[in-house]
Amino acid sequence: MTLDQATLDRLFNWRTALDHPVTKELLVFVAAALVAAILTTVLLGRAGRLSADLRKDLRERIRSWLILIPIMVIPVLAGAAWTILGVGLLSLLCYREFSLATGLFREKLVSVLVVLGIAAITFATFDNWYGFFVALPSLTLCALAAVVVGQDRPKGYIQRVGLGVFAFMLFGVGLGHLGFFANDRLYRPVILSLLVCVQMNDVFAYCVGKSVGGPKLAPHTSPNKTISGALGALVLTTGLTSLLMHQVFAGTEVGAWGHCLALGLLVSVAGQMGDLVVSSIKRDVGIKDMGAVLAGHGGVLDRFNSVLLMSPAVFHYVGYIQGVGLDQPRRILTGG
Amino acid sequence: MSVQSWEYKPAKDSGLPMAAWTRSLGRESGLLSTVGHLGWRVVVRTALRGLHRLQIEGKRNIPHALPMVVISNHASHLDALVLSSLLPLKWCDHVFPVAAGDVFFETPRVSWFAAVLINALPMWRKSCGRHALADLRQRLVQEPCGYILFPEGKRSADGQLQPFKPGIGMMVAGTAVPVVPCHIQGAFEALPRYRRLPRFNRLRVRIGQPLVFVDVPNDHEGWQHICAELERAVKELQRPEPGV
Repeated sequence: MTLDQATLDRLFNWRTALDHPVTKELLVFVAAALVAAILTTVLLGRAGRLSADLRKDLRERIRSWLILIPIMVIPVLAGAAWTILGVGLLSLLCYREFSLATGLFREKLVSVLVVLGIAAITFATFDNWYGFFVALPSLTLCALAAVVVGQDRPKGYIQRVGLGVFAFMLFGVGLGHLGFFANDRLYRPVILSLLVCVQMNDVFAYCVGKSVGGPKLAPHTSPNKTISGALGALVLTTGLTSLLMHQVFAGTEVGAWGHCLALGLLVSVAGQMGDLVVSSIKRDVGIKDMGAVLAGHGGVLDRFNSVLLMSPAVFHYVGYIQGVGLDQPRRILTGG
Repeated sequence: MSVQSWEYKPAKDSGLPMAAWTRSLGRESGLLSTVGHLGWRVVVRTALRGLHRLQIEGKRNIPHALPMVVISNHASHLDALVLSSLLPLKWCDHVFPVAAGDVFFETPRVSWFAAVLINALPMWRKSCGRHALADLRQRLVQEPCGYILFPEGKRSADGQLQPFKPGIGMMVAGTAVPVVPCHIQGAFEALPRYRRLPRFNRLRVRIGQPLVFVDVPNDHEGWQHICAELERAVKELQRPEPGV
């Protein structure tokens, strides 16, 4: 085991949480956005500009954000270990909602294998063992395909294994890439920027879509989304993301404006696609929300849908250009 | 379309808040609940065999497949644990002890314990309408599941068998669901109503031949008939064997 002081600091030292200026800026931005949302709701409500239903919906959404933001931000500030564990837990919660929605939860063997796969992804991330991390999609596919054969129940085999693999790829591998960023020395500003940008992507699409209107983006998949909203989000999110990434990666290859713009486009497009993926799942199954954990938002998966595709897309872009966490010790638990 | 569409069957209780989920008669088990049920049954089975030296007679009378209803006399909280320990562990998610709602589902903590560990379903004794029994009957018929229940309705105060209530008849009349009558001896002495902790005396359970009421009409008369038949079956199991 090679746990040097620098690694221990990365994993557990919360005192360095605000060392990077972008982390501070983002916290101020999030706090300001929350205060602005509360004030706007109160003022518009007092002025009688909001219907009772809309007022209730906005209150519920703000209340959920007041719980969600600390849950998302505190682990990142507390250290890489908590960030990785938090992402692992998020993967499990998303899988839980998916399996309840599709009925996959009745297939205990498949669920056990997907949960073990998510645990292995979390371990590989914690260990900073990239080789094992990228091997896990193939290994889990092999395990699912082979072990489920042992049930000797061919009826529904493709559906059981197919849903298991799909769930593992989306929630284990997709979200796992967000966790793997925690092996980079810049993980705090990177992860917080990505979370803020992808959530703002939703807000931009909603606001532009409501103000401009126009033709629907995918009326059968998500009837409320408009093309204008998607394009508006693309422009605004690309701008916000590239500004942040330019600061976060200053002095590195990815910090160049061209790469920052590309990252902005990736965040917006992959974020919106992730949202549409979960909408397609819901329409296919025939449900409105993936759960009811977050009042005003639905389930955990309804809130984090845009992170599912965005995380691997951004991770591999940064990985291709300059690598993620290459200057940090590898395989800190397993050695080798 | 060149391939047949997949069919999805979302969880019936998806989206319910925790308190409502624990009380739902349609509650289904996820992976965590399965781990809870399995762990609880292993612990209970080990404790009953080790500490209470549980003796089982007539285990061959338990059908090899669900659905089924297992009933017995009721003098102690140990009764449901004894009956659930008779059944295979692989059924731990599909066999539901039907428990008093006002005892096991009043507070969130106890409800969680009843749902996640015991896998109990609530029966609200003071306001048990026909709809609750109809829901239980529907689930029993539609999906292969099992119930553990006590037709006396409450624990006996003196250990003696009390008259059976006809609710059991409403659940199984006109169906092919087998009802397995059992008699538990020693549970009253171990943990009667007035004790909080059990004495570790010997327990004995006798399992009778399953009874099926497929030809009994699902009406008041049929329910009374089933009720009487089952009471008679449990009383027969209660009788000491000749020469004992």
